[in-house]
Amino acid sequence: MNLTGKTTTDRDRFAQAGDARGSARISRETISTVSVAVLCVVLLMSARLINPALGSWSQVETVLVLGFFLVILSFGQGVVILTGGLDLSLPATITMGGILATSWIGAGNPAEWYLLPAVLILCGLVGLASAIGIIWLRVPPFIMTMAMSIIVASALLGYTKGTPRGSAPDAAVALMKGEMLGVPAPIWALIGFALAGWLFQSRSVYGRYLYAIGTNMDAARNAGVPVTAMRILPYVLSAMCAGLVGISLVGYSSGATLRMGDDYLLPSIAAVVIGGSSILGGRGSFVGTVGGALLLTILGTIISALGMDFGLRTIIEGSIILIALLLLREELFQKLRAMGR
Amino acid sequence: MFDDPLGAGGEPPGGRQFLLQAKRLRKTYGATVALENADINLSSGSVHALLGENGAGKSTLVRILAGAVTPDSGEMLLDGRPYAPRSLMDARSRQVATAFQELSLVPNLTVAQNLLLPRLPKGRGGIVSARETLQRGEEILARHGLQRIDPAAEISNLPLADRQRIEITRALENAGQLLILDEPTASLAETDWLFERIDLEIRKGVSVLYISHRLAEVREICSEATVLRNGSSIASVDLSDASDSDIFEMMVGRKAGHARLSRRTAPDQGGNARLTVQGLGGHGLHDIGFSLQPGEVLGLAALEGQGQQALFHMLAGLLHPVEGRIEIDGKPVKLSSPRNALRTGSGIAFLPEERKTEGILSGLSAATNIVLPVMSKVSSASLISGRREKAVAQAAADKVEMAPRYLNFSIGELSGGNQQKALIARTLATGAKTLLLFDPSRGVDVGTKQSIYTAIRAFADEGGAVLFYSSELPELVQLADRCLVLYSGRVFSTFERDDLSEQRLVAAMLGHAKPEIAERSPA
Repeated sequence: MNLTGKTTTDRDRFAQAGDARGSARISRETISTVSVAVLCVVLLMSARLINPALGSWSQVETVLVLGFFLVILSFGQGVVILTGGLDLSLPATITMGGILATSWIGAGNPAEWYLLPAVLILCGLVGLASAIGIIWLRVPPFIMTMAMSIIVASALLGYTKGTPRGSAPDAAVALMKGEMLGVPAPIWALIGFALAGWLFQSRSVYGRYLYAIGTNMDAARNAGVPVTAMRILPYVLSAMCAGLVGISLVGYSSGATLRMGDDYLLPSIAAVVIGGSSILGGRGSFVGTVGGALLLTILGTIISALGMDFGLRTIIEGSIILIALLLLREELFQKLRAMGR
Repeated sequence: MFDDPLGAGGEPPGGRQFLLQAKRLRKTYGATVALENADINLSSGSVHALLGENGAGKSTLVRILAGAVTPDSGEMLLDGRPYAPRSLMDARSRQVATAFQELSLVPNLTVAQNLLLPRLPKGRGGIVSARETLQRGEEILARHGLQRIDPAAEISNLPLADRQRIEITRALENAGQLLILDEPTASLAETDWLFERIDLEIRKGVSVLYISHRLAEVREICSEATVLRNGSSIASVDLSDASDSDIFEMMVGRKAGHARLSRRTAPDQGGNARLTVQGLGGHGLHDIGFSLQPGEVLGLAALEGQGQQALFHMLAGLLHPVEGRIEIDGKPVKLSSPRNALRTGSGIAFLPEERKTEGILSGLSAATNIVLPVMSKVSSASLISGRREKAVAQAAADKVEMAPRYLNFSIGELSGGNQQKALIARTLATGAKTLLLFDPSRGVDVGTKQSIYTAIRAFADEGGAVLFYSSELPELVQLADRCLVLYSGRVFSTFERDDLSEQRLVAAMLGHAKPEIAERSPA
């Protein structure tokens, strides 16, 4: 460029004085992903010391099959959290997926091929309704999704008159009980889903937009990110994931209940947080979330194998979220201050 | 004429007494020196003006005198006794009261409550008496000629001008010695009420420190003025002795002329304008009109709060104009978002004002920050190619002379200068033919500034059009082909490249229609 020699030397001096780092430092996400993976292995190994039945290959299979639900769910929860929101409507949407699958479709229904996607789309509409409330009516995410949760749960109660009927659709049973090359089908599905989720969140344009919005919505808008569409997307995805989990759950246990989703809300948030995501949005990776989901599932199987109370698991998950929030305290306060301005 | 009326201390001429003397006040915020060496002496019972361009340190000085900010060093005497207020209330106990530019009223309380806070009248049992509050509020309003305002009205329901009057009234009530008025006419359409109040105060022996951007107003009400420049007091003058051009010169200083960047091609005046604005209004703007030709760098000069933010936001699609039209390449457009502005016609790319809060996305890499508006260029089937991301970011980074190794860094870890370079690179990477740059070199070092200027010039030489606002006069003079001056939401005057000088800009920025120095001079 046509600058004089003097300016150039000045600039070099600034560059040297300012910054001499050669490469970016290892990200927080990488550190937490690796530590979660190590923790998973350690936990499985040490479980073996407590009880030889734990930590075996069949135990690993069980963990992966059970982990399937939580991985899908925490993908949805993860993208919502990534944009700085929270989805509390997951339990009701899971139940909705399960109940619609059993009562609309059931076993041996030839219309299964279009009814199953229809169930997913209906669940997606629940997410769309939440997004509309959050974006245009400016209701805080946790209140809006909680309200949606209550509305959907009440509608389901009315629809089933208290007792869900019907049976699991064949496709759901095949997904959960099938086997391929000696490996249970849900494990293949888990691998496929994890891969797709990783591509979406870390390698796709949409994922990049979501990170941008979660980091700073105004800056993202100024940078030409389609902010409105990208704020709707996470809630729709999350609700569709919940619907998928509902359908899979009835395939696994061959029936729906009105409370089938209740135990999944806290783990879905905890898995995202353990995986190294910031609960305030903008940071985290799906690989970490998968690790977090598997870790929680291992913990759950150990607790039940030891005959401990289920409540203990809830206490652990709740504590994890609380600790994560306390660790983020400074960041949280800054965010709140920024919102106040 | 204004050799050294300062620092001499002692008694003012004419045997009057100084009410307030402040010496060598200094205040820094981290590495930023807000106030370097400020002196000010106020005579009793006079109206003293504080003048200076953006960033000269006026607000900091006001905050120190008001008790909102404690200086790092320096001393102050009020009425002969040391004065070092630790808070606004502390200052008020010495009968110093301030009406702030950013009003300090509580919006969801009533007029009467705001006037009486923090000491609301107590009734029986120490409980605040609503009736008494209302009555006292009414008395205060009556005393200051504002009977028409309902003391029970909530502040948030009042028009802006009345809120400003209440802010001033509250200061009047509490200023037994010194009244500080920071831009009191910012939202007042007429000054009669205010000047009447000020006259009454002076007759009571109260001194007034008057801060305003409007020189005509200052001349009408003030007798003396202190001029600040770059955080230091430059002079203290008797306003009847100083001409406007003297004052402008004191504000700007006799700086060595900056070399202008050479220009390869003259702006193409014949073809379609890249951007045309006609009768644009709303959000504080009135009847804004100009056009921007390919190859032109158009500067925008204005003191703070003259509507420059609203204008940029309208052109970036962040605000909807209430009236008027915007044309891109000769076609009328409605811009709904920055993304939409990028994709309309030959495109408008926007560099926001605040780098940290509106510009960078701190967790993401510098490369991602640069390519974010053009993700489709670096992806196929929605999947991003790391190689293409790097290549596109690199090409843009080269234009602003940003070292390639920074591209992998999270942008939040880079220096302010490199962050700004990345943001300018982003606007260049969009491929838009019109750039909208709000203060493109805010808070960056000299070397970075030159890189940014070179990039802007090169962009224009290739047929791009640039509209930039700057808070720094030398930057406008150095970079602009033409410069608009915005004043009170209107385009107040336009300077061609040959007529541009810092003094002329300052005069126009202060709302001086035809000062003698703005006459076209041969040369």
